[in-house]
Amino acid sequence: MLAAEVGGQRRFEVDAETVAGALRSLPVSNLVFDERGRLRQLVNVYVDGVDVRDAGGIDRQLEGGEEIRLVAAIAGG
Amino acid sequence: MATTLLVGTRKGLFVLTSGDRESWDVSGPLLKGWEVFHAIADSRDGAVYAATNSFVYGGTVHRSEDRGETWTRAEELGLPEDSDLTLEKTWHIRPGRDGEEGRLWLGGAPGVLFRSDDSGRTWEAVDSLIRHETREKWNPGAGGMCCHSIQLDSDDPNRMYVAISAAGTFRSADGGESWTPANSGVAADFFPDNPFPEVGQCVHKLLVHPAKPERLWQQNHCGVYRSDDHGDNWERLEGNGLPSGFGFPIALDPSDPDVAFVIPEEGAENRVTPEGRLGVYRTHDGGQSWELLRTGLPEPAWVAVLREAASFDEEGAYFGTQSGSVFVTSDGGESWTEAATHLPPVLSVEAASWQ
Repeated sequence: MLAAEVGGQRRFEVDAETVAGALRSLPVSNLVFDERGRLRQLVNVYVDGVDVRDAGGIDRQLEGGEEIRLVAAIAGG
Repeated sequence: MATTLLVGTRKGLFVLTSGDRESWDVSGPLLKGWEVFHAIADSRDGAVYAATNSFVYGGTVHRSEDRGETWTRAEELGLPEDSDLTLEKTWHIRPGRDGEEGRLWLGGAPGVLFRSDDSGRTWEAVDSLIRHETREKWNPGAGGMCCHSIQLDSDDPNRMYVAISAAGTFRSADGGESWTPANSGVAADFFPDNPFPEVGQCVHKLLVHPAKPERLWQQNHCGVYRSDDHGDNWERLEGNGLPSGFGFPIALDPSDPDVAFVIPEEGAENRVTPEGRLGVYRTHDGGQSWELLRTGLPEPAWVAVLREAASFDEEGAYFGTQSGSVFVTSDGGESWTEAATHLPPVLSVEAASWQ
């Protein structure tokens, strides 16, 4: 769904100091974050394959070259 | 002239087109993955707006200038932080009047209204409704506390209405700057100690007759009602032919303000067509009597029609079912044609006035 919102584009290269900063620079940021700027509950963020919620949160600093993946959580039955 | 229907479903938007209103082409789904609570074409410029919701990505509004080929999404849509409210769902979109360039209204949950003056790019919450002095008496219905009806008076550019379940009907005489409850005579039977409160009524759908704007109709949790004084007073109407006062949608005939269509359900505790029969009930006399119309409708059928899933225009009336069928009448309801079947559960139906 996120890719469909940006004409099918699935990869973006961005300059950002934090994971949150990288996500906020995306054209789908207002789907990833709610109106209070909180990461939506069912959006999972992986930095180089590690769930960011278990590894410093979205305010974690980036060093450069990391791959961030957005994955909709499994929910429902 | 071809007829186009915008059919919002749990699984995207479908577009139905017909040259003769008998055979229909179905295309879609558009907006895949989104629940389309309501989609409407703006008669001013042909743009399509959709109130879209996702259990992952929240509620928003999509806009298309090319009949659904491409879409843009609202950039700013949220509630003031000091309101302690957050947007739960987007429900209903109402384009502004001719001459109100770029203006649209959006209803959502929890009991909120937004205004856009830039064709849906940004939306500003209507503060007077967020901070209404009766809000603490409002309660959510089964679908959340949804603002599902927005009606504009065709004579008075400052008069408009919203309906919220379960808060009731509210009227503004100043273009949304302030709101007056308009629920006198409307029952709230679920409050046995006070069945006629100022607010708290569970209105399911509110309509203003386009040619007679002092006449309002509503299908309520507790009956069908008509007002002839801009909502100051309401008359309960469901005797004389209706099997139940409970239902969700209501449709009108723009050429005859005494005509209305409802699709009753058995009751609040069994929300399905009564007697296993899908029937549309029509009044020709302002709701004093009702007749069953079922030619072309399936029987037996245990189905339900949601509040946004019926509409009307100059050519006829339309409705869609939770079981994925869409029905059309072109003869005032005497007969119905199944325009589509096996769609996802239908949430909304609107005719698009495209040339």
